[in-house]
Amino acid sequence: MKILIFNGNPDVNDVQFDTGITQFANQLTDTGHNAEIVNLREKNIRPCTGCFKCWIKTPGTCVIKDDAIELSEKFIHSDHVVLASPLMMGYFSALLKNALDRSIPNLHPHLEEVDGEIHHKKRYDTYPDIGVLLKREESTDQEDIDIVTDLCTRMCINIRTSLSFVHFIEDSLQEAVNAVNIH
Amino acid sequence: MQLTFINGSPRGKNSNTGKFMDNFIRGFLETDGNNCDVEYLVHHRKDLDRLVTIFSNSENVIIAFPLYVDAMPGSTKEFMEALVPIAHTGTIPALGFMSQCGFPETHHLRFVERYLEKYTRKLGCNYIGSIMKGGGEGLHIQPGFLVEKSFELMYEIGLEFGKTGSLNPILLEKLAQPESLEIQQIQGLVPYVNEKLWDGWLAENDALDKSFDRPWD
Repeated sequence: MKILIFNGNPDVNDVQFDTGITQFANQLTDTGHNAEIVNLREKNIRPCTGCFKCWIKTPGTCVIKDDAIELSEKFIHSDHVVLASPLMMGYFSALLKNALDRSIPNLHPHLEEVDGEIHHKKRYDTYPDIGVLLKREESTDQEDIDIVTDLCTRMCINIRTSLSFVHFIEDSLQEAVNAVNIH
Repeated sequence: MQLTFINGSPRGKNSNTGKFMDNFIRGFLETDGNNCDVEYLVHHRKDLDRLVTIFSNSENVIIAFPLYVDAMPGSTKEFMEALVPIAHTGTIPALGFMSQCGFPETHHLRFVERYLEKYTRKLGCNYIGSIMKGGGEGLHIQPGFLVEKSFELMYEIGLEFGKTGSLNPILLEKLAQPESLEIQQIQGLVPYVNEKLWDGWLAENDALDKSFDRPWD
């Protein structure tokens, strides 16, 4: 399987996080997958401006010409995408969130009913499953984990895929690898 | 009472979030002695420190944003991270939020709402509450009376907040209608929005025939 890992760690000094991501990628490679890490902090990704041109003018492609376009293509060509970020005040880093905001060209603006709610239509037939790899903050408690897990679940419903796992890099990475394997 | 209203819409001054904000502020200013400063986050992105200072010098702050991929836009999260150094210091304001989403059901906002309350606690601010409104996109194709009703409720919520410093839960609940929709309502609404809003905009851009393009296939 082709596995794309978005490393949303903004802090070059947080070596523990980056080392964990590298180990995770190595373990995936060892089990026969093709794993690629994208360090978002090395990419030029400007924030979404909410112009909707990716839906109504150049359908499927963002008009901001930076690295987010390439990531949007890689996203569609992956079987599994792992969103990795240290928790920062209980949620993804702004670095990762900015990259996710730029993924909406891969959806269609039209709405439709999905399990009793309104969501966007798919632009593509299939989307990669999403796994989430986080790192706890000192203050992280069960309530934080429930809140961020629910936000991830909602995001996956909305981008028309499914959430395969939410794990923490300070726990056993093998569990996250297993979650990728069984999904 | 002093309020700083931080509009986090990436669209800046030309946003749906701003239309709701304007009505809230109109109500807030009805009380003598109240004053409100509006800051647009897009104007501060290159120097968030100045906005952090404005934040910490405020009595009350409301941060408003449109829902992007089920949470706050990345640029709003950048500002929320920039506030970390002043967490639990003596000079922080009471904090509330306003958010709107394009989806007609306000239910989509309830997950980020839980986060915002927890974030506020982490920052050590008193939590004013969150004003949540679905159906914030395509106001121009919505029946005028419905849009007016939302604006009027925003005004009333602002008015009450200006008098009491609290958000009235009954008004918040009224504003949030519909929280969710019946399947029959969805089936009635969706084709209208797709045709009038999205296909309308696609046609204006001569892009209707490209609507379902798949550049990465």
